[in-house]
Amino acid sequence: MDKTSKGIQTLSTHCSYKTKFAFRFLRSLMKLKKQHQPISSSSSSSMELIHKRSQRIKMLAYSSIAHAAGPRRAWSRAILFKLQSRARHHYFTRKRSSLDSKTKQKKILKNKRVMRNHNIIRAGSTSRVTRETKQMKKLREIVPGGKEMDICSLFDETAHYVKCLSMQVQVMQAIADRFSK
Amino acid sequence: MEMSGHENEDVGFQHRSESILNCPSSGMSTTHLPEKVSGMTMSSLSIFKPSNGADPFFASAWDPIVSLSQSENFGDSSMVSHGELSNPPYPVVLENQGMNSTSHLVQYPSDSSFVEMVPKLPCFGSGSFSEMVGSFGLAECSGIANTGCPPKYTLHKEKATERASPIGAQSHDGRETEDGGIGSSSSGKRRKRALDSSSPFSPNKNAEGEQHKDLSGESSDVMKDHEEKKHKAEENTSGNIRNKQTGKQSKDSSHSEEAPKENYIHVRARRGQATNSHSLAERVRREKISERMRLLQELVPGCNKITGKAVMLDEIINYVQSLQQQVEFLSMKLATVNPELNIDIERILSKDILNSRGGNGAIFGFGPGINSSQPYQHGIFQGTLPTVPSTSPQYTSLPQTVLDNELQGLFHMGFDSSSAIDNLGANAGLLKPEL
Repeated sequence: MDKTSKGIQTLSTHCSYKTKFAFRFLRSLMKLKKQHQPISSSSSSSMELIHKRSQRIKMLAYSSIAHAAGPRRAWSRAILFKLQSRARHHYFTRKRSSLDSKTKQKKILKNKRVMRNHNIIRAGSTSRVTRETKQMKKLREIVPGGKEMDICSLFDETAHYVKCLSMQVQVMQAIADRFSK
Repeated sequence: MEMSGHENEDVGFQHRSESILNCPSSGMSTTHLPEKVSGMTMSSLSIFKPSNGADPFFASAWDPIVSLSQSENFGDSSMVSHGELSNPPYPVVLENQGMNSTSHLVQYPSDSSFVEMVPKLPCFGSGSFSEMVGSFGLAECSGIANTGCPPKYTLHKEKATERASPIGAQSHDGRETEDGGIGSSSSGKRRKRALDSSSPFSPNKNAEGEQHKDLSGESSDVMKDHEEKKHKAEENTSGNIRNKQTGKQSKDSSHSEEAPKENYIHVRARRGQATNSHSLAERVRREKISERMRLLQELVPGCNKITGKAVMLDEIINYVQSLQQQVEFLSMKLATVNPELNIDIERILSKDILNSRGGNGAIFGFGPGINSSQPYQHGIFQGTLPTVPSTSPQYTSLPQTVLDNELQGLFHMGFDSSSAIDNLGANAGLLKPEL
């Protein structure tokens, strides 16, 4: 008994991203389903609603994968920051419907982003700013948090991001299959 | 025969150098694998130390050095795990641990082997060997390569003398000629010292003795590079070199005891390339980038044959975009799917994950017996996720009621992944005896 529990615990500590992501994602999905159950039913097949829900689910998926990856990765941090700022913005816009607060909030968020970019650009090498190829720019856009990284770490982050993305797709596919059965 | 044996070794070296070039350290973020790095370096060192045989020793000897130098370069020895152990860079090892190679080198003409390595220098990347050779001029090496092994040595000496005339290391059988660039001097010295182990070279011997102690050549590498880099600008001539070399080596020997985990970049100027520190740093950076590109190449399916940065980048971008589109599509699919009952979701959780993992060793804690038999990676991706034979049949045999309870508990607790898994583990521990 002790051995098995120990083994299980050691195994549990060696949890992979997949487990973490799957658990988190499913839990959030369940929450979403519970929330929408009284509201939406199979009859509500309007594209808008579905689109909204899909956007939400996508965000849930990314948040799950970012949480699963942990804060050690720049891209996961970027995703979490983006989600948090978006949630904050959402919260503020809901609480205060006045335009001023909205614009203020937007400005605040913008400034934060700009400040971050400026700081990092100052710290970074000029070559990154000047001699960037189109591909590198596109890669920076695609990979979350890639805009403020040097090329070396950008590749690092891309590799890790690709791994996590493929795993995410796998799990989501399985879940979708299971749901549709 | 020495020659034949040497040729074999040379071929081996060729492969090694090429392999080393092909599989540079992945250079994953240092934050990720510090322990791994240290572990790897230590393991590689352990491999290195005891080996004192001929080829096996030689092969293994280079490995830790390569890994060490590369770990120094990239802050971790993840590269070591890439199987470079079997393909040690000859020159790197020579540089870093000349003393280790002394006994080994005596067995075969290091010059010829060294010379053999010369043609591979261009592909060597940040191999210290290339630097060493470059600094001291490959002329001797190439000249030596053209000759036989023993004659190579003499030729090497002669050519070294020609070249080393400004260097003034001729007195050391031209071994010191490598020290033309001080960076390579120590390495060349070691190599040549190894060759001259039979011949008396008292001043060098002392340094060699010191070097012999430096089995942990990692730090010596680092220190040497450091010193070498410093000295590169100030190429000394004549007797100063020898003294400097001894001095450096003594320094190296003393430094070799230091922490081997310094993250200095161990770079050597290649032949025909500028030894300017800036260009070297540029080269190191480029090599880092190319290594990362190679890692990405492995990740992206179907990109093994693509050569070229632009095409590879395009492929990577396409792949990431396609993955993101897949996520979006799947999220839309999930949105359209009717939300099933909670009970089903719990089952789906366990079964889905098991299926999706394909037996990757999903650790639920639900199937403790199953999971314990599967290898697991601790939050670190090491290449593609492993696919372990699916454990679903075993899983389905477990009593669903008990599992459902576990799942309920799982869902209701606000878990971070770790705490959740720990709880699962605890639950699984309780579950086990019931099975």
